[in-house]
Amino acid sequence: MIVAERKPLAEIRGFVDDYRRILILGCGTCATVCLAGGEAEVKVVAAGLRISFLRDEKEVEILEDCVTRQCEPEFVADLPRKVQDEGVGAVVSLGCGVGVNFLAQTLETVPVFPGVNTEFFGAAVEPGVWLEMCAGCGNCILHLTGGICPIARCSKSILNGPCGGSRDGKCEINPEVECGWALIVERMKKLGTLDRLAEILPPRDWSTSHHGGPRKVIHPEAAPAAIGQGKAEQ
Amino acid sequence: MSGNRLAQEQQPVYAPCTAACPVHTDTRQLVEFIVEGRYEDALELLLEANPFSSVCGRICHHPCEQSCRRSKVDAPVGLMRLKRFVVEAMRDYRLSRRTAGGPPQKREKVAVIGSGPAGLTAAGDLAREGFRPVVFERSATPGGLLGNAIPRYRLPYAVVKEDIDDILARGVELRTAVTVGQDLLLEDLFAEGFAAVLIATGLSESRTLAIPGIDSRGVLLALPFLRTVLSSQPPAVGRRVVVIGGGNVAVDVARTARRLGAEKVTMVCLESREEMPAWSWEVEETEEEGVQIMPSWGPRSVFGEDGELKGLELRRCTAVFDSDGRFSPRFDENDTATIVADNLIIAIGQRGNLTCLRGSGVETDGPDRIRWDPGTLATSREGVFACGEVATGPGSAVEAVFDGHRAAKAIVHYLETDELLEQPPMELPHIGEIPDEVAEKVPVLSPVAAEVLSPEDRVRDFSEIERGFTEAEALAEARRCLACTTGALVDEERCAGCLTCVRICPFGVATVEQTAAMPQEECMACGLCAAQCPAAAIALKRFGTNQMREMVQPVVMELKKRAGAEAAVIVSYCCLFEITGRDFIRRAQEEYPPRGIVPVLVPCVARLSVADLLSPFEVGADGLVVIGCSEGSCLYPTAEQRVMERIRRAKGVLAEIGLESERIDYWRTERSAEASWTAFWELSQRKLSRIRSASEERRR
Repeated sequence: MIVAERKPLAEIRGFVDDYRRILILGCGTCATVCLAGGEAEVKVVAAGLRISFLRDEKEVEILEDCVTRQCEPEFVADLPRKVQDEGVGAVVSLGCGVGVNFLAQTLETVPVFPGVNTEFFGAAVEPGVWLEMCAGCGNCILHLTGGICPIARCSKSILNGPCGGSRDGKCEINPEVECGWALIVERMKKLGTLDRLAEILPPRDWSTSHHGGPRKVIHPEAAPAAIGQGKAEQ
Repeated sequence: MSGNRLAQEQQPVYAPCTAACPVHTDTRQLVEFIVEGRYEDALELLLEANPFSSVCGRICHHPCEQSCRRSKVDAPVGLMRLKRFVVEAMRDYRLSRRTAGGPPQKREKVAVIGSGPAGLTAAGDLAREGFRPVVFERSATPGGLLGNAIPRYRLPYAVVKEDIDDILARGVELRTAVTVGQDLLLEDLFAEGFAAVLIATGLSESRTLAIPGIDSRGVLLALPFLRTVLSSQPPAVGRRVVVIGGGNVAVDVARTARRLGAEKVTMVCLESREEMPAWSWEVEETEEEGVQIMPSWGPRSVFGEDGELKGLELRRCTAVFDSDGRFSPRFDENDTATIVADNLIIAIGQRGNLTCLRGSGVETDGPDRIRWDPGTLATSREGVFACGEVATGPGSAVEAVFDGHRAAKAIVHYLETDELLEQPPMELPHIGEIPDEVAEKVPVLSPVAAEVLSPEDRVRDFSEIERGFTEAEALAEARRCLACTTGALVDEERCAGCLTCVRICPFGVATVEQTAAMPQEECMACGLCAAQCPAAAIALKRFGTNQMREMVQPVVMELKKRAGAEAAVIVSYCCLFEITGRDFIRRAQEEYPPRGIVPVLVPCVARLSVADLLSPFEVGADGLVVIGCSEGSCLYPTAEQRVMERIRRAKGVLAEIGLESERIDYWRTERSAEASWTAFWELSQRKLSRIRSASEERRR
């Protein structure tokens, strides 16, 4: 899941200071689950902005809405008309960065501001605590590392670890951060496959990651017409 | 089990109290009205279901309580006493609504024979439908056994009269001291223009025993005895009284005999103590009053001298029923006992009196039962219907009321269509018991005891033995209601399956598969999940808080308009359950807003979301005062902790936009709302006024 955190209200207020009709738009999927931008948080942000504008004696109308996912055309199809009909001057998206991008493309002339900071792909390790576990690098090597990702969970993303900065299972950058490679070693001990780590992994091709530029995935059945434009062809 | 919203909407499932009540009084809703101080609505609800609500608030066998789901946690909610509280508190209101008058009565005349709960209920319903019912009553006093037999220590006549006068005021004509079948015949009624006749004469005669010596002087029958007691010349009884019978009438007779001065009263019954048909609580009170019970004995003969009763001989009863459950007592003739008595009162059951059918051609079932169709309530003669105990056999008052409602429907249908209406028995589906694993997490709240006279005081006279609930007691008892069937509803389209509800449900009820589910059989309706759901996908069937902003906006804005006032404007969310009288909050809601304080009652402040906590500020309030329940009295585990967390978050939001987080105060009620809230409001307001001035100073 994509994990995000709501931006401080003062920062959001700064984005929208010059607008008189503002739509706060939540996202009903990842942002809801990580408690950053679901319908309940839309109400909180809207309330906070209303209070803030009221104190400054500015007459501003704050509208509230939430869509199932801000990153699908069908779920945002009605939005341009709604924004136009209701005279919305600016949108604050409480979806992840994907949502903000997608809305920005969909709405064309209306500014879309981020209401959350998009953090990472992670898991809820306990109620209210999320941990980064995947970096979306485009070429999974988890089969080699006991299912624990050295790219996401090692501070240096090294392929042959641990490095000399690993102390008692913690990373030298912060004693609260677990050493990803220490986790890999422990896990592979349990699996009885520790010996596989003796094999040195060669430097990898990072072009599958963002280093190769913005990426695209095409599913051949779902998008037959798009074949020939991207990866599916390879 | 289903947590599926659509499934729940399609098939309503009722609280067990409502389902168990013969007239399906929406008891769950009734308690909610009481908690909210809406006593008028509570009375309307009661009277709609049961015109004998005053009576049933005293003597009902209250199946609602027997099925109350709280029994599994501690003890059932005192629903009957809550009903009594409503009718007692709303006496004036009831009189005022009575004068409003019924619809014009233009339709046919219907004769109702018998003015007990069945007949009068039917008559009341018929009047409401615009018919002209005339009730014929043999006695001088209406009410059947309620008016003429049940002892006053259980049911004062004023209580019966309250219900009856209400029914009569709907346009029911009552003709007392008229014996149909004697003073006039059924035939005469049709000739007089009555379009239909309802026989509702009940079981008005006592059965007797065919044993040697039964005609001795000093042997009495239960109903004539009880009737005489209620007359202007109550009978004298001897020092030693024996009552034969183990049912509720026998209990009434025994306790009455004690009150008439009998020193030694003994109840003799065939049944074992456990099998006794009288309600267990009545039997207990009877024993407290010094009545001795001899279970598993049957009378063999009465002995006397010169026709004067001296005592009776008993034989051991070894079994009352045969293997098919039919009444067929067996005795051990070798196990006998003798008991001396100055009076013997026989209370072994009642039978009908079919005098009213004389010459009518209406078929009977033996000498004292009418032949009738239990589905259509029709008798063998067209236009003649029967209801209540004369048709159904022995039952309770509320069952008679139920049958009266059915009879009215049957007659209305017949008169409108010339056809009979089949009314099959109907059972309401209910949610059943609380699962054990949920029940053990529900905090125990002991029932509020109603004050009862001591047994020594009780037997002195016929004063009512129990005082009803005071308002404070009623409100305290009402908060014990588990609000069955009013739990969380999930909007599956919005639910993101995030597990927040699962993680915070204090009763371990919420689950998530595709989406969240709180099966209503288990949900305790605390509302904690709804306030915490990040998708705002959970609604509550009662006491929703999603309109807080709309609720406070007009008042706060009005107050802000009178700007220049020194005092800060404050909204105060308060725990509804801490109030001990509705006048306090009504007064507070009138007196405090002009002083800048707007009290808003919330059934558990843990139902408030962060957005709810911010909404007063959105509409311009200077501060918020949240008042939770008193220490240790919260109905829901973890609720206070949740409120505190949400208040911290709301304060954080204020800080983010440059407002002082001290603008939100949390107080815990001390003793009661009346005892502590006004002090909290004043303290918080003083502090907030200072914060406001300082803040305005800075801004200038």
